[in-house]
Amino acid sequence: MPHLCRLLYFCACLLLLTTGCEEAPLYYTADAQFYPGDYLPTDPTNSPLWKAERAHVNHEAFWVRFPVLLEESVQQVEHLGVQINAFGAYEVYWDGKLIGKNGTPATSGKPEQPGTEMSYFIIPPEAATAGKHWLYLHATQAYSAENRGYFVFLGDYFEMVRAPLILTAFMYILAGAFLIAALYFLILYLTNRKAYAVLLFSITCLLFFALILLEYVKFYIPIPYAHFYTRLEMIGFLTLTIAFLVPWYFSLQFSFRWKKAFLPVLFVLLLTIYLLNYFRQGYYDETAQFLAFCMWGASLLITAEATYRKHTGASLVLAGLLLSALVHALIYYDISVFISFTIIILCMLYILAIRGKEQAKAYESSLLQSARLKNQLLRKNIQPHFLMNTLTSLIDWVEESPREGVRFIEALAGEFEILNQVADSTLVPIRQELELCQRHLAVMGYRKEIQYYWQEEGIDLAEHVPPALFHTLLENGISHSLPADDGSIRFLLRFSAGQEAKQYDFITYARNRKSAIEKEGTGFAYVRSRLQESYGSHWQLQSEPIPAGWKTSIILYPA
Amino acid sequence: MRILLVEDESRVAKRIERMTRSFFGNKLQKVLLCEGLPEARQLMQQQPFDLVLLDLNLNGEDGFELLQETASAAFHTIIISAYKDKAITAFEYGVLDFVPKPFNEERLAQAFLRISSTQKAGIGARYLSVKKRGAITLIDVSDICYIQGAGIYTELHLKNRRKEIHDKSLEKLEQLLPPNFVRIHKSYIADMLEAQEILVETGSKYSLLLSTGQRLPIGRTRYKTLKEDFFNG
Repeated sequence: MPHLCRLLYFCACLLLLTTGCEEAPLYYTADAQFYPGDYLPTDPTNSPLWKAERAHVNHEAFWVRFPVLLEESVQQVEHLGVQINAFGAYEVYWDGKLIGKNGTPATSGKPEQPGTEMSYFIIPPEAATAGKHWLYLHATQAYSAENRGYFVFLGDYFEMVRAPLILTAFMYILAGAFLIAALYFLILYLTNRKAYAVLLFSITCLLFFALILLEYVKFYIPIPYAHFYTRLEMIGFLTLTIAFLVPWYFSLQFSFRWKKAFLPVLFVLLLTIYLLNYFRQGYYDETAQFLAFCMWGASLLITAEATYRKHTGASLVLAGLLLSALVHALIYYDISVFISFTIIILCMLYILAIRGKEQAKAYESSLLQSARLKNQLLRKNIQPHFLMNTLTSLIDWVEESPREGVRFIEALAGEFEILNQVADSTLVPIRQELELCQRHLAVMGYRKEIQYYWQEEGIDLAEHVPPALFHTLLENGISHSLPADDGSIRFLLRFSAGQEAKQYDFITYARNRKSAIEKEGTGFAYVRSRLQESYGSHWQLQSEPIPAGWKTSIILYPA
Repeated sequence: MRILLVEDESRVAKRIERMTRSFFGNKLQKVLLCEGLPEARQLMQQQPFDLVLLDLNLNGEDGFELLQETASAAFHTIIISAYKDKAITAFEYGVLDFVPKPFNEERLAQAFLRISSTQKAGIGARYLSVKKRGAITLIDVSDICYIQGAGIYTELHLKNRRKEIHDKSLEKLEQLLPPNFVRIHKSYIADMLEAQEILVETGSKYSLLLSTGQRLPIGRTRYKTLKEDFFNG
């Protein structure tokens, strides 16, 4: 809590500086009065032509005057200065003496050189005495038809000039942080092109950097008053873009379910608010507030839904959004909007950090899974059921018919050879997998003394499959089937490629054992793991009895 | 000798059949082969057997299911399996022997010799499976107080005073049970851990007093060895 209080106090001080108010009033002034035309009468003070409203804007030159009553406390001010906020090009007179000009008012020969919207002038120390003074401006406003008001403020000249620059300096530190964040995440995205959320985040940071830059650029770059609204429009456009990108980022990061419906609606809403401003000039601040509010509301909705689903990190982001609302309620808008934005950006940063950690963990566990699968594949050779039974039948063959025994050993060697070849890969050419299946059938033929037939249909030799995928289905098929009436079992592997998917059908033509129908084959866990390893979630496995025997289908979808 | 062989590897099955015929010669009445559990169950129900040779992994099915059934039968079970690490569990269910694959003729003969031997099989069973109301129940051997022969069946008298019927004869059970189960009489096997003392009655009649208070008769021929082994001569 103490930190929050200090922050508030700091912001309050900045407020006081920027508005130029001090505890005891330094001066009193009144509203501007306007006098049309280039020339003032010799004693203009009581002329009835001074009006509160201007007659015609931007047609001709005019005069503006302010009465200023300086208090005794003005003696403590070292350098009294005046700040003028207005559109136009003007010369400034203090008590009849020219003290400076902002741009150059138009004369009969030369066109106007526009001034800036805000300007500062030092009042000559000998003229800065307590008592009543007059501030006159001789102005033209050739480049804008807007009847914008004239306002003056007095105070210490150097403090008035410095205060906004100090504020700008601090806010630019924040901007620098966002620039670095934008660059970092851009580089992160370039190393992993699939992470669109990261790119979105980088762009949002960059836009936010530009927003802060634009917001405070008015304090050190002289912008001619005619282009005053250009800057505001740019800020408005940036705010619009950010207001759309931030909820979009959250919906990506949190896998928001109604993303496809919600985002276009949000976009239309934001665009409407922004375009409305075009038809009602001058409500820039309000527009920016509405846009920011929509952004906050949309993000809140998405984050609340994600918190309900117990998505990682969502609850903290929700707290951050609520905190930013609190900040907005407590602090003056200009600064609070940036603090709120910063909180939201920090939330987004937090989520990315968590995601990075999750991804690292997922990658590690997938490496582990691959190692486990390789291990499983290699152990197919030495599993007791396979190995001991094979050796026992081998012994028998060798004793009964040595020649057949030798052929059995050769078939075995053939199967072992391929199994070792494919052990290290996650995908092998289908030709190798088919060879593996054929050799396994040869071995099993010797063991079971059943006539096995292997058929292929439509196989595309350019395709790759995970190793021992069909080998496992074949093992299953062998143990779960009884020979058909002619004492044989036939296996068919069929491949078909459509527009949407590729399909492998593995069909066993035989009679099914009762046990096969009751529970799934044990090898299916291996098959599923291999499919997930290489195809993520873009696959389907179906296994069911058919009148002719059994059919297992693997359907692969494009990524 | 009527033997049932449950083995899904045809080559291995033929090998076992050859060796079995070679061992038993004339004494072998029939050897039947089957490949899976349902077939085996059917055959066991239809015909009497004296021995079943069982593999534990049949076409992916768990042979232990069948083992519980064959262990409850009147005939002995010998396991012939590739899974050596399952041997201890198999013995706990009460099998006569466990022959790991690959095996040779001598090892199989060793297993067949146990049928007629009085030696106990391994560490002894931990469970005896009994057929009750069409299902198999496992009785923990430590719950058995004593066993009484009753015709072709035996009665398992449990410590909680319940009784179960088992299809195996006393001779067969004696081979399977742990060393603390001793044949004290031609009709009784007692758990010597429950034995308190030997009582002598008139006419050289000996009886064993159990901790439950029950008295079991001791066969005259067995009295001496019993006294020596368990009551310090």
